Amino acid sequence: MTTPKATSRVPSYCYQCVAGPDLLRVKVTDGVATEVRPDDAAAEVHPAGGKVCVKAYGLIQKTYNPNRIKVPMKRTNPRKGRDEDPGFVPISWDEALDTVAARLNVAREAGLFDESGFPRVAASFGGGGTPTAYMGTFPAFLSAWGAVDMSFGSGQGVKCYHSEHLYGELWHRAFTVSPDTPSAELVISFGANVEASGGVCGIRRHADARDRGIKRIQVEPHLSVTGACSADWVPIRPKTDAAFLFAMVHVLVHEIGLDRLDVPFLKHTTSSPYLIAPNGYYLRDPATEKPLIWDAGKGRAVPYDTEGTDPALIGPFQVSGLELGPDDVRWMHEGVACRTAFDALAEHVAPYSPDWASAICDVPANRIRETAETFHTHAHIGETTEVGGRTLPFRPVAISLGKTVNNGWGGYECCWARTLLACLIGGLEVPGGTLGTTVRLNRPADNRWSSVVPGRDGFMNYPMNTTKKGEWTTQGKSRHAHQALVPLAANSPWSHALGPTHLAWMMQKEGFDKLPKPTPPDIWFVYRTNPAISFWDTAAVSDAMANFPFTVAFAYTPDETNWTADILLPECTDLEGMQLIRIGGSKYVEQFWDHAGFALREPASEPQGEARDFSWISTELARRTGLLEQYNEAINRGAAGVRLTGKEWDFSLASDKVHSVEEIWDASCRAASAEVTDGAETQGLDWFREHGFRTRPFDRLRWYLYPALVDQGLRFELPYQERLLRIGKELEARLHETGITWWDRQLKEYEAMPHWQDLPKLWEDALEAGFGVDVGDYPFWLLTARSMQYSWGGNAGLQMIHEVASNIAGHGGVVMNPQAARKLGLKEGDRIEVASPLGKTSGAVVLRHGIRPDTLLMLGQFDHWKTPYAKDLHTPSMNSLMPMLLDLTDATGSSADLVKVKVTPLEKDP
Amino acid sequence: MTRWGIVADLNRCVGCQTCTAACKHANATAPGVQWRKVLDIEAGEFPDVRRSFVPVGCMHCDDAPCMDVCPTTATRKREDGLVTIDYDKCIGCGYCIVACPYGARSKVTEPARAFGGKQMRHEALREDPARLNVAQKCTFCIDRIDGGLARGEVPGLDSEATPACVNSCIASALHFGDLNDPDSNVSHLLAENESFTMHPELGTGPGIHYLYDRDDNAGSAGDAPIDGPPEMVAEPVGMGGVVPKLQNVWDWRAATNFILGGTGSGLAVAGAVAGALPLVFAAALMHIALGLFAVWLEIGRPWRFLNVFRHPQRSWMTREALAAMPLFACGGLTVLTGHPAAVALTGVFGMIFLYSQARILNAAKGIPAWRQKGTIGLIAVTGLTEGTAALTALAGLAMMGGLVDVTQVPLSGLCGGLAVLVAVRHAAWRSYRRGLGETGAPVETFKALDGAALRLTAGHQMVVVALLLGALILPGATGAALAVAGAAVALASGWAFKGVLITRAAFDQGYALERFPARGAGKPARGVKPGWSLS
Repeated sequence: MTTPKATSRVPSYCYQCVAGPDLLRVKVTDGVATEVRPDDAAAEVHPAGGKVCVKAYGLIQKTYNPNRIKVPMKRTNPRKGRDEDPGFVPISWDEALDTVAARLNVAREAGLFDESGFPRVAASFGGGGTPTAYMGTFPAFLSAWGAVDMSFGSGQGVKCYHSEHLYGELWHRAFTVSPDTPSAELVISFGANVEASGGVCGIRRHADARDRGIKRIQVEPHLSVTGACSADWVPIRPKTDAAFLFAMVHVLVHEIGLDRLDVPFLKHTTSSPYLIAPNGYYLRDPATEKPLIWDAGKGRAVPYDTEGTDPALIGPFQVSGLELGPDDVRWMHEGVACRTAFDALAEHVAPYSPDWASAICDVPANRIRETAETFHTHAHIGETTEVGGRTLPFRPVAISLGKTVNNGWGGYECCWARTLLACLIGGLEVPGGTLGTTVRLNRPADNRWSSVVPGRDGFMNYPMNTTKKGEWTTQGKSRHAHQALVPLAANSPWSHALGPTHLAWMMQKEGFDKLPKPTPPDIWFVYRTNPAISFWDTAAVSDAMANFPFTVAFAYTPDETNWTADILLPECTDLEGMQLIRIGGSKYVEQFWDHAGFALREPASEPQGEARDFSWISTELARRTGLLEQYNEAINRGAAGVRLTGKEWDFSLASDKVHSVEEIWDASCRAASAEVTDGAETQGLDWFREHGFRTRPFDRLRWYLYPALVDQGLRFELPYQERLLRIGKELEARLHETGITWWDRQLKEYEAMPHWQDLPKLWEDALEAGFGVDVGDYPFWLLTARSMQYSWGGNAGLQMIHEVASNIAGHGGVVMNPQAARKLGLKEGDRIEVASPLGKTSGAVVLRHGIRPDTLLMLGQFDHWKTPYAKDLHTPSMNSLMPMLLDLTDATGSSADLVKVKVTPLEKDP
Repeated sequence: MTRWGIVADLNRCVGCQTCTAACKHANATAPGVQWRKVLDIEAGEFPDVRRSFVPVGCMHCDDAPCMDVCPTTATRKREDGLVTIDYDKCIGCGYCIVACPYGARSKVTEPARAFGGKQMRHEALREDPARLNVAQKCTFCIDRIDGGLARGEVPGLDSEATPACVNSCIASALHFGDLNDPDSNVSHLLAENESFTMHPELGTGPGIHYLYDRDDNAGSAGDAPIDGPPEMVAEPVGMGGVVPKLQNVWDWRAATNFILGGTGSGLAVAGAVAGALPLVFAAALMHIALGLFAVWLEIGRPWRFLNVFRHPQRSWMTREALAAMPLFACGGLTVLTGHPAAVALTGVFGMIFLYSQARILNAAKGIPAWRQKGTIGLIAVTGLTEGTAALTALAGLAMMGGLVDVTQVPLSGLCGGLAVLVAVRHAAWRSYRRGLGETGAPVETFKALDGAALRLTAGHQMVVVALLLGALILPGATGAALAVAGAAVALASGWAFKGVLITRAAFDQGYALERFPARGAGKPARGVKPGWSLS
């Protein structure tokens, strides 16, 4: 007779990607984690019914993967590089932590900043901030330490939605933008691959929407998973989305006409009626310096916030007033003809007709026109709906942008046009329309409404990096100079990650003229990221990190980045460690819930080998660096996720003591319970172990920013970008005063309204200039796309993920149109070399009709040469083919996953 | 009566494979084995292209071919419609695998080791030795259903009582419930939407239904007609996971059984008709025995071979085994006694054995090349032809060697009879091949059948007939030599045909999509059957 096996269901969460977190339970049998299951108890509060996506099911293999690093290790070969075997040898935790602490103590003694003014300690975390959900109290350690440089990117700017992050936060507190999918009728998606990267909430909501009969039009060069799930597919030429969007604006403004747009919204909730003075800046009331509008009722110009006005949208008008230029230049105008911002818009988009865009986009003009008309038809202009007892406009149409569309050159154009289109039909931040879902650059980061702070000119405030003379400086605290170069990147804890992160790597190779001398960090922490394969020009990134003197990698398996590390620290993985995080409310992507609260990640398995909980490691580092007091105080302040004190509760930890992992999270659980119940209940760790999560209702009204703006009499800063125009001029002046001219191209992006620039040609010219090639020899555009199975998971080394991902076409090869393949004499499975002017990769041909003949596609990010299992997949990746060039860097400091390539058949298998 | 089933809403499915992974967790399937998965199907040419995701697995059919063919009764069907496998009964013959038209079954021979080397902790804990070397497939998570019912829960509504795949589905594309209950969740979905099942032409009554359009949206596919069967696409691209694949459970060992068993049983029949010497029957039995030994080498659990006798009601494999018993008994008696009754019975049981073999292949619904109606006649006549050819060759050799007459029928009679059988075999081949062309089959099946070096076509078989005619015309040893040569070619072409049919032309059904679903406000479209063609 066999002994019955002891089983339990341990609560946990999956926050492997930014579209989480989602809740799960782990079935544990005889102490072994055996199954991942949805958390059925969360069905009522979680938008996707408590489900988790395929990646979460990789966690069992992730835990017991024999390729794990299970003991601390140190490097014995002082030379670093791809060809240098690090000679890692096992050491004790004491030796490992003492070694790290000794380095930290030396650095601290020398001062937090080095001779160039850069923090001596740097850290890189991947996954759009999601590693914080797995690093326990390490943020408290970093807080206790002080200045840390997080500018060494691991994909940001190329692999993210960079322009959306920056411009989205500026215009509507939208670090990420989403359709209000639960109410939308029409979504036009320019390459947004929500069915692969929208997480379970996105998947569920879009499935519900399809059930309702939503019309989604996917505009994308290849028929992605999302395109497959859409009503229509428009195979646009790569990187020409801005032209399509401009043509849509043209149709609305010039063909449908102002009368049929949401005139009240434009008049009262946007800057459309603001008068533009001759030099391109707003005409202002000399006394208050407020922008003027023309009150059609009274027939005169008045400050924008004058009560009871009927703002005119169509001018021009003869008006007198003050114009404020850059650096406080002032012009007084008397009786000059001033257009409204809407006039300026109409004039600006007049040339951008569907016929004009057709040739650029390789899309028939009538299809572009129909798309715009459909957008207008479905907007329900004039309708309202009740949310949370308040009447709001109902505009169930939205446009979403994919990452290659909205980062790099063209990102500004696309984000502007997308947000403007929402304004034209009154659909920005209202039910059914285009929403932001979270903020990161504005504060507080957990509350979009509270981040709506009145700024100048009737718009929301924005924490721009200063461009004022005497205040602007090149001596920023990051190695990518985000404060000097990118005013929009602001200076929040997230700004390092939102600056031009590739510049930090580029500067390691060769400094930029007039910026501080580049220095490597004394100590570099790296966790849950692998920039050696996940960035662009990965060879250059690898070379740079090989010059870092001391790298500490929290390591799961050997990989291409920790190959250059000095110390490997095996931390508990997802199912081994403990942590409490915030859930719900409104977070990235489609994670806007009707509830908010906290969830516990309870260990479902004993740590394998000598892996240690991240919070234990953090506490030990704090203790060994003499920062225990500051560390505990940081935890008490909420650096580990929840403030331990509140109005009527205090669970703060004694600052002079070492606390166990369980003590820390028990206090956090109690504080979380108190926060959720306004102090009524204070359950601790045991309660969360049983129940997993705790939430309270989150008012759906808070999904929409519109009420917060209206309540404060604020307007969306569209269509005219007077502020950016001024800042651009000021930045130009500061840079030129310093002698910096290498950022001049980027300065051109600071337009009041973006003009079309030939983006495909821009890429081609950059390649020709950068590499001296004839771009005609590179006939294909190479793109990438996210794969739900792999995206963000760091799970390329898991067999099960590879197995199930293989059911979806495109994994493991180069997707190519059969017509193009025929011309090259290629057939399915043939191995080919794909080369850009920078580098080459190889893979098998995957034929699909759902891709343009001039386009190739490589899913995901591979190119592994060290990560066990992944390195044997022979899967191509475009990352090593993507040059890091200033010419390809836009004003926000990003570029796009896009390069021209040529294809050569290979004779033999690898 | 309850009939559990799944409704998969193709409008909702995004192909994420969460269900695939959840199944692997719930059932601890081995690396590379997926009891269910989601297909990625594309059709059309740029820029008019459709792409859809289609969950597949065991369909728990009403009329389950796997159950019919199973010789051991390991595969059964419960009253609630669930098709089950008793791992302790299964001999791992693989017959159910080739009988399933949905590619739902597999056989695992090694313990799970996702990364090679030593098993991981969870792999070791969950290893089930009973599942090695036997057939396995989706159970609809039968333990969850039964456990849930025992707790008073409703499968499909209560998560713990619902199959893991359905419970995990992040798009709510999968629904589980009682198809026979008009008030169930799945019945409502089927009533309110347009739906289809996969491979409806096979009449299996699958328990997985696919929704492709809302009722109020149906029939409005614009210009594209959606009626009619899915369009066969002979050379689809990027469809590696969808197109028919060559079955790999029956290899040369199974082919040997059909080759030697067919020849041996044909020889027994021919010998009985022609009044052959007992030695001929010994040769016949030896052929059959060797064939059966070869197939014994192939089965996963060879020491359970006696279980093969458990299903005489439906399984032709059981019937073949049963026929072998009296065949060997009577054949043995014939060898020992030469008694006319034993001879006659040997012939009769030889014929039954041969017919059973033909029906074995024909019952394998998963292999279009086998399930053709014409397969039965073709295999039977091929066996008779081979047996007669073997007898003719023996007689010819005996004549050339100046030995005794092997049969009571003169060599010329054997040659004439063989010539007639060759002609009949060719006619059967033509009928079979024509039938295959009319119903359609995997393109690769046609290529394999039509590309074989030695075929049953007129050109090849005319050589046999010419040689046999020569034997009839020319006297003495020369004629005998021609008879032997003709018989050898007749024999070889039969063996070659069966070898090709079983190992090279045996592409499975593959997958087909009856309709591309409407996506949101989009319209449905005609489906596709990748890797298939007519003629």
